[in-house]
Amino acid sequence: MANQLLEVKGIDVSYGDIHVLWDVSLQVEEGTIVALVGANGAGKTTLLKTISGLLRVRKGEILFSGENLHNFKPQEIVDRGVIHVPEGRRLFASLTVKENLRLGAYIPRTRPFFAESLERVFSLFPVLKNRKDQKAGTLSGGEQQMLAIGRAVMAHPKLVMLDEPSLGLSPILVKTIFELIRTLNEQKITILLVEQNVNQALKIAHQAYVMKTGKIVMCGRGCDLLADEEVRKAYIGERATKRKG
Amino acid sequence: MEFITQVVINGILFGSMYGVAAIGLSLIFGTMRIVFIAQGSVIVLFAYCCFWLFSLLGIDPYLSLIPIILVSLLLGAGFYYGLFKEAAALKDRIGSLLIAVGLMFFLENFMTVVWSPNPRAVVTSYGFVVFHLFGINLTLTRLIGLLLALLATVGVATFLRKTLIGTAVRATSEDVEASTLMGINPNRVNAVTFAIGIGLAALAGTTLATTYSFDPIYGFDFAIKALVALTLGGIGRVYGALLGGILLGLIELLGTYFVGAGWAQAIVFAVFLLALTFRPYGIFGGASEKV
Repeated sequence: MANQLLEVKGIDVSYGDIHVLWDVSLQVEEGTIVALVGANGAGKTTLLKTISGLLRVRKGEILFSGENLHNFKPQEIVDRGVIHVPEGRRLFASLTVKENLRLGAYIPRTRPFFAESLERVFSLFPVLKNRKDQKAGTLSGGEQQMLAIGRAVMAHPKLVMLDEPSLGLSPILVKTIFELIRTLNEQKITILLVEQNVNQALKIAHQAYVMKTGKIVMCGRGCDLLADEEVRKAYIGERATKRKG
Repeated sequence: MEFITQVVINGILFGSMYGVAAIGLSLIFGTMRIVFIAQGSVIVLFAYCCFWLFSLLGIDPYLSLIPIILVSLLLGAGFYYGLFKEAAALKDRIGSLLIAVGLMFFLENFMTVVWSPNPRAVVTSYGFVVFHLFGINLTLTRLIGLLLALLATVGVATFLRKTLIGTAVRATSEDVEASTLMGINPNRVNAVTFAIGIGLAALAGTTLATTYSFDPIYGFDFAIKALVALTLGGIGRVYGALLGGILLGLIELLGTYFVGAGWAQAIVFAVFLLALTFRPYGIFGGASEKV
């Protein structure tokens, strides 16, 4: 059995009285890219929020490197190396690029390596170096996404969970972002990727899960799902029919 | 003409005290969305502490700033962990406001029992030192008050800009959830913010004690004025809050001079309403710019 970095085992999650996730299980093998796809409201973001400790598990368990994350506070989960880049990037707009990156390395474990990490981020994203004293709110959409990912890199992550990193970006930038995800993965960072751009996501993913109304309905190798007729119809839609016609 | 200049100077000197209180309110509101209406009563409480240290132990009020500020920082963190932690985590803000109101009334009554409802003042030997410059009277203790206010403002602004925890405070006031995902413990940030807010109240209290007389129920009025100053300066802006306080001091004293004391208060609140209506982000500019 391969080395599982993250194991989600049959979790139920609810917002107050509203049950959102039902018996969700998922595995992320160390060193891979795992894609999580599905329609809006399927519960993908909820799953990421639960893994990062913002929401509580009702039933089931989440293991990271074999350690049960049950009742861990978000900062303890960040300290383990699980970094969540939320949907919409959620940068601190009034803080400078450098200040945003500084907060990426907020946890004590990563502070001694701040200068090194900063160099690493600047070599990944040279544009951020030029803009380091600019307020994050003044960056373009693509730059903001780079900063959001850079902020995650500052934390010396083992697992980066990206929620819709390509949302709202131009096709060229989408390509750049996906290349970046691959680069990060080559630097031994495991990736859990939530994407609406199902086609691209499945192309780079080693393993993929499909969610529907709070449940995992399908899983398999990225390329297998990409070839799957049902997945193409439901999530890649247009493009598949166009090809046939 | 000289008299008007004198009124303006007094307005600035007095208003800087509102400004210091407003910075505290602004920080607490910024990170926790708590309207800390008890701020004025806490200021008066520290004025009484200063009064006691002076009258019972003979400690100079400016020397007493050291123990008072240390105690106030602890008290601030204590207020957060003891009173506001649970309420600050809720989306509904009414709970934290009610706690602040309760704390205010508790302090008012507590102070009335301990120190009686009679006005007090700290009267030092140098309290009557007045400089005469170009026909204007400058009281030494009020000048020291202004100096302390400026130092505190620059100190807080620098802390927020240059330190990691200060940066975390600014990040948290912008987006709590995103800062949590950075591994920032929101409770620690909130406690630090509360400590600074109460520390500023201690500073304002000492200035109040050395320059004016005070009584237990003066705090509410002070808190409301600090809230007005905060609105004028713009929430989340450290220098703005100080300027708002000074502007308020000017409006109050010029109003008193030109139309009378009663009208001055009405004008203050008319300005408050106008500012809220037309410049809800403060009259010193931009919509979301901070510090």
